[in-house]
Amino acid sequence: MSNLAFALRGVNAAVSGTFALREVSFELPSGYVMGLIGANGAGKTTAIRCLLGMRAIDGGEIELLGHPVPGPVALRQEVGVVLDHTYLVGDWRLAQVERALRPFYERWDGDRYRGLLDEFGLDLRAKVKDLSRGMAIKLTIAVALSHHARLLVFDEPTSGLDPVARDELVGIIGDFLLDAGHSVLFSTHITTDLDRVGDYLTLIHDGRIVRTGTKDDILDAYRIVRAGPDDLNDLVGVELIGVRRTSTVTQALVCTDEAGLLGADVLIEPPSLEEIAVHIGAPAGRRKETV
Amino acid sequence: MTPVARMVMLNLRTVAPYRCQCLAVFAVVVLLFVNRPVALVPTLVLLFTATMAAYPFNVGDKARLETLYATLPLARRSVLFGHYGWALACYLCTVIAGTALALLLARLQSVPLGGRTLAAVLTLSWGTFAVNVAVQFPLFTRYGYTRVSVLSTVLPLAFLAMLVVRLHLSLASARSWLPWTWPVGAAMIVASAAVAMTLDRRRVHPRL
Repeated sequence: MSNLAFALRGVNAAVSGTFALREVSFELPSGYVMGLIGANGAGKTTAIRCLLGMRAIDGGEIELLGHPVPGPVALRQEVGVVLDHTYLVGDWRLAQVERALRPFYERWDGDRYRGLLDEFGLDLRAKVKDLSRGMAIKLTIAVALSHHARLLVFDEPTSGLDPVARDELVGIIGDFLLDAGHSVLFSTHITTDLDRVGDYLTLIHDGRIVRTGTKDDILDAYRIVRAGPDDLNDLVGVELIGVRRTSTVTQALVCTDEAGLLGADVLIEPPSLEEIAVHIGAPAGRRKETV
Repeated sequence: MTPVARMVMLNLRTVAPYRCQCLAVFAVVVLLFVNRPVALVPTLVLLFTATMAAYPFNVGDKARLETLYATLPLARRSVLFGHYGWALACYLCTVIAGTALALLLARLQSVPLGGRTLAAVLTLSWGTFAVNVAVQFPLFTRYGYTRVSVLSTVLPLAFLAMLVVRLHLSLASARSWLPWTWPVGAAMIVASAAVAMTLDRRRVHPRL
């Protein structure tokens, strides 16, 4: 059995006539957090659906906790899924949530469920539909942790959450990772969430993986360049990613090994995760420009 | 507990918050047919069982329960069979409670209800149930409850009407066709489950 939480290798999946995952490959060793970063519609949710076996793939292979996907149904005992919306009956009280889900999980821990609800400030008598977004996400996390999932998959859990709730969520992920062998896949377009907990990053754009690796490697792989409006026009062999031009400045992302080709009058700086995400996710019209 | 039994239980939990509305439907039917105990069970099956059997699909559409099913350690086959199992459980409970009530009402009103009449009533109820489920469930599986709720109400009735007209079914000739209702109904439900399985593979769920 490999020591990978999951791996996608050359995955192709046609979603519609205009969008598909193409040759998507990325993997996460057990015990780490991976941030899956991309703009809305980049393919994050589709990649997650493929990983969880919720969508058939047209090519490639997927491995989840040492098993090929689609794999045994029991594999879902090991995976907790947290989305940006709840998928529980709105009129269930939180005590009923436990009664409904407990029969499906061999290692359901009722004490842990009630303990987590207490810790998260959730009342067992509250109804699912009356929870705020942040509370609803905490509820799904409590469910995932109560069946002792080894892998937590978050799909855009922080979109729409206030900073306090986002900070709490990052803390919960940190606690989850204290147990050896626990892993997290965290899809988001809010990159600041990953500054604290992300070990690995995968950048996805238009159904393709732009780059995947450790956070430090990704940050080292790019540079932000800023120059006057015409200073980046006469260079050869440098790919400008997500060029932004104003009347006074031109800004773009470049690969670090190409940054040396730029002149001395070009300001070159290490990018933040946010800057990388913004430039890579730029609209097709200004995404890439080779000068 | 088998996976299908777990799914049946989940359906019970799904409708549990709405038990008052469901019981209200039961009570209204009983009140309307309090003077006609012979017609009580078939009417309960037509109105109450049909509502109850479809309720998990109805709630599921609103609460995105397809996502929940996809995350649970449960094969898709078990989810579908669990829906059919839930419908059968609803039918059995309705028939048991309805028959007991009908017998009680018949005794209180000195209406003859027993033996052949009761067997015919239960057989008709089974036929009604089987047609309802066999037509509705593949549609719910493929398109979801919300998109076909009206169509799924009309279609079984149209199908029943077509059977009566095409096969020249009448109460006078009931002795010849009524016994076939049980095996034909069971076969329809089995075929319906197979169709639902096939249609389910083609369904792309819109969200995680």
